[in-house]
Order: sequence, then structure tokens, then C-alpha cells
Amino acid sequence: MSTPENAVPIPPAAAHGSTAPRMRGHAWGPLRREWIKLLFQRRTYLIWGGAAAIPFLVSLAIHFSHDQGGGGGGGPAFLDKVLGNGMYVPLASLAVLIPFMLPLAAAMVGGYMIAGEAELGTLRIILLRPVRRGAMLLTKWAAAMLYLAFGSVILLVSGLLFGWLFFGLHPMVTLSGSTISIAHGFGLTLLVYLFGLAAMSTMVSLALLCSVVTDSSLTALIVTVVIYIAINIVIAFSYFAWLRPWVFPYYYTEFLNFFRDPIYWRPIVKAIENFAVWSAGLTVAAYIMFRRKDVLS
Amino acid sequence: MTPGVAEAQTQTETQIDSIGRPEQLGCSGRPIVLSTHALTKQFGSLRAVDGLDMEVCAGDVFGFLGPNGAGKTTVIRLVLGLIHPTSGHAEVCGHRVPGELQGALRHVAGFVDDPTFYPLMSARRNLRLLGSMTGPVSEERVDEVLEIAGLLERAESRVGGFSHGMKQRLGIAQALLHSPELIVLDEPTSGLDPRGMKDVRELIRDLGAAGTTVFLSSHLLHEVEQVCTRAVILNKGRVVVQGKVSELRPQNDAVKVLTDDQGKAAETLKAQFGAGGVSDDEGFLIVEADEDGVPEMVRRLVADGLAVRAVVPAPEQGLEDFFLELTSDEDAKPAVESRRRGIARVLGRRR
Repeated sequence: MSTPENAVPIPPAAAHGSTAPRMRGHAWGPLRREWIKLLFQRRTYLIWGGAAAIPFLVSLAIHFSHDQGGGGGGGPAFLDKVLGNGMYVPLASLAVLIPFMLPLAAAMVGGYMIAGEAELGTLRIILLRPVRRGAMLLTKWAAAMLYLAFGSVILLVSGLLFGWLFFGLHPMVTLSGSTISIAHGFGLTLLVYLFGLAAMSTMVSLALLCSVVTDSSLTALIVTVVIYIAINIVIAFSYFAWLRPWVFPYYYTEFLNFFRDPIYWRPIVKAIENFAVWSAGLTVAAYIMFRRKDVLS
Repeated sequence: MTPGVAEAQTQTETQIDSIGRPEQLGCSGRPIVLSTHALTKQFGSLRAVDGLDMEVCAGDVFGFLGPNGAGKTTVIRLVLGLIHPTSGHAEVCGHRVPGELQGALRHVAGFVDDPTFYPLMSARRNLRLLGSMTGPVSEERVDEVLEIAGLLERAESRVGGFSHGMKQRLGIAQALLHSPELIVLDEPTSGLDPRGMKDVRELIRDLGAAGTTVFLSSHLLHEVEQVCTRAVILNKGRVVVQGKVSELRPQNDAVKVLTDDQGKAAETLKAQFGAGGVSDDEGFLIVEADEDGVPEMVRRLVADGLAVRAVVPAPEQGLEDFFLELTSDEDAKPAVESRRRGIARVLGRRR
């Protein structure tokens, strides 16, 4: 505290009425705050570091497999095509990530959004500021998506870089057998990335809902991942085939249709519709829970 | 419970009944900044806050007293909209909570429980981030509040490395950012060393002197006595006493009497003041006699042939004793006694 000699005069309380000017309509302000919070977490850089490293590991693995005569070795889509063309590296990396690591990253960042603040104790201090809970939740959702988008950009850039370094960039061959230019291939790869983000919006919303319900970010992460795995296991059985069109993980691999010539839009549009409905539904559920949540952390 | 406490409680109930008529509770025309109306919060079978009615007037440094578990923090959470009441409501700076929470929060700042911050950010960045949620905040203002809190030299340090006391002071700094009408502080001196406590109390007094209304939750009686103008004592989620701090302490008109024959003196005094007005305390007789009664008392003692050796004012019952009596849990006493006996047995065996 200030000593008497250097005491700072405390300004008188504001006159009756408003004490702080109202923040008017800039959505970027709240989003920027959430973004800064993400930048000041170590785990953020772990995931982004992983996104940068995976294309390198994919390239390295394919390169050495080829040296030992093993070829692409099967595995996820596009992996066996990497060998002759670096343009497939970002695609193969994404194909590896969409069913596994991206949902995990989405669950982590979404699960942290409310529960992480609760366990840190900052939820009770930010909710003393005049911010609507609904707006805060939507901003957090947007920040989580921005986080994943930035991670995806890292993956894309890293994929192109290592693809070029290890194998060179060449015109691509679609799943239908036609050849497309590098620029066209790059455009399709971007579309796949956007599809991946749309897919992850469902996981972020699910994680956000779990994050609202619990006060532990780890619990939110685990519950989200368990639900995701459980859905995948259930729809793997033919007995539950009727369930497949209704659940979002079923559509995660529909990005392959971008690489048909012409693009097979129907399943892609259906997937996007499914993602939109699930994401909106889960976010609304999270809002309803958060609006009534007693913050006791 | 002593008769004094019982009287005080009866008096308090009269005050509670008059909630809603601020002029009767000493606001003397000042606006009411914070009030609760039959505020109730039930957690399962536990009624944490039970029909709470209280008022804080503009300019008050208001003490919110109660033992641990009395429901102080729950009330603060209710008033600031962190939790939802089971019934009843609060009004904060003219805004109903819940319902108009955002309006209310534009006029209030503070912290609940320990103030917490983003550990990897500096103190300055934390203030910027939190402040921007209420409204634009200049770097000069951030510097000012850091200086008021005595943290200017550590402005660029990560909060994760701060001591508990420094976090408490940063909590006060973030509350001051927009010069709110009402500052709510939940046990702001907990965990501070004596110097830190003194500084925080001085700061709270300065805030009050500058016209800011301060709502200070504390379980430290002397702190409230030193700093606050009005107070509420809360126990088991209910108001036990509320009023000016100077009037909370029960009035004590008692003297200690020492004569050459205390037994005979006790009989004489009981004849004058009744059996309830005379008690024994370590060789002295404690007589509940006011200023007018003392000369007559001495005359009677002398008339009965007793040599009066001393008549001195009995020490006033401290607010602390009064508080303990008001908030004592009669149900818990047998359990505490049993625990004490158990500990004594264990210690006895060890010896």
C-alpha cells in the first residue's frame, strides 16, 4: 500500500448513476480477451506444437518407409499418395487428425473454457463484470474455434513446407483419377480444412456443455472424449446402423468427397447440416445450463 | 444467553421488522445502495441464507460480520448474481438482482472469496483484461490503482508468483479501476501480515472518507470496530443484529465492588438490586448499577457496617464476547465438550 508520504489520493466515488462508460458493440473486444487468455496458457502451445510437428513426422515416416521398401503402408486416406507428391502431406496429416487428435484438441479447449476458469477461480471474478453470460459463452465458443483454426493453419503451412521439402509439390490426382493443378489442389485442401473446422464445431459445443456442467476442465475433457468414443463404437455395429445418419462423428470422413471429380456435394452438405444442428443444439443447451448455473467455485 | 444479549436481539428484531422504511434505520435521507429482501438460498436440505433483510446506505463502510459458515460469502454471491436465490431478491444501486444484473454490476466491483487472477499474466495485464470487461480503462488509471495497492513496482511481474497478500491487494486494485459506487470485499485482510492488514484497513477507511460505499465481509470483530460505520451480524444465514457499530455493543452499567465481608455485602446488594443484578467474579461482586444507583448502594453498604474497599467500573463486555454469545451454537457444545474430553484422554495417556 502507499505510505503516507507517497499516498495517492483516492478519487471520490462517482456521482449517482453510471460509474463506467458502456462498452458499445465491439465483438472483437471480448474475443480478443479470450484469445489473450488462450495465449497465456502453456497447453495452447503444446497443441500448436503438435500441429506443426505432425506433418514433419508423417513426411519423415513415409520417407523412411520408402527407403526400406515399405511404401505408404496403408493407413488413413491419402497417406499412401504422399510418397510421390508433397501436396498430399497436409491432407494426409489432416486425415490422421480429424478422427483422433482434432476432436481431442477441441475437447480440451472447449472443456477448459468455463470449467478451467472455475477451477482457476477466475470465473467468479469475471462474472462480477457487467457481461451477459450468454455473450460470454458465445465468445468462448468463438475463441475455441479460432484456436482450432489457427492450429489448422499451422498444420497446413507445416504440411506444405515439409511436403515440399521431402517430396516436392506436384499436380494432384483426385479419387476419381483425374489430375488437377497445384492451385486447384490447394483450393480443395483449404475446403477440407474448413470442413474439418465445421466438424470440430460439434466437439467444441459438446465440450462447452460438459465444461458448464462440471468445475473441472479435465472432467469436461474426459466426458467429451468418452461420449465421442462411445458414439463411434456404437455406430460401428450394424445393429445401430439406423443411428448413423443422426450422429455427427459419422460424417467426419466425408471430406474425402472434395477429392472426387466433380466434387460430390450431397454428403458434404448433409454433413454440414448435421454439424450445424448439433453444434447449435449443444451450444443452446450449454447456454441454458450456464444461465442458471450457481457459480460456487 | 445473558439478559443483555437477549435484549439486544429483541431490539434487533424490531429493527428487522422495520426493513423497507430506511429512515428508521439510520440512512437519514441517503440513498440505499444495497438492500436484500427476504433473500433465501437453499442448498439441498441446508438453508444457507434464511429470509435475509438488510440495507446498506450510500457512504457506509458496512461491516458484514459472522463466524465461518454463517453464510456471508453465500450472501455476497447472491447479491452479485453469481448464484440464484431460492426466493427473495436484492437491489444493488437501484437494480434488481437477479433480473437487472448487468445494470447492477456497472456500479459494483470487488471480489468474493480469495481474489484470483490469470497466473501467467502480469498484474498490469490482468487489470487491463478485467477492467476492459466493464469499460475502457486508461494506462494512467491502471498505474493509479496499482500505486494505491502498493503494487506499482511489481506491475510487470507474473501474478502466479505473487504472495497471498499481494493477490488480495491486486483484488482491491481491480475493484477500484472504475471508481464504482459500491465496493464489495470478502475478507480482504485474511492471510495478510499485521502490516498488510493495517494498510488494507487504512485503504478501506480512505475509500469510505472519499464517499465510496464499502461492503466489508469479515469474521474479525476488531476489524469491523476499527473500520466500519454500520454492521450486520449474521449467523446461520439470518441477521442477528444490525445497526451502527458504536451501538452494537451492549450498554454496560455495572460496577465491581470489594468489601471486608463479601457474603454480607452480597445479601445487602441483592436486597437492593435483586438476585439477578449481583454476581460474583474472582472475589469481586459485579453489580448492575447505573450512575444514579451507585451512591445509594455505597450508603447501604456502609449503613450495614461494611467497609467498602473498592468500587470500580466493571470492564465492558467486548464486542467479541457479545459476538460469540450471539453466534454460539448451543447444539454444537456437547460435541465440542466430548471432543475436548477425548483429546484430554489421549494427552493423558501420552504423559
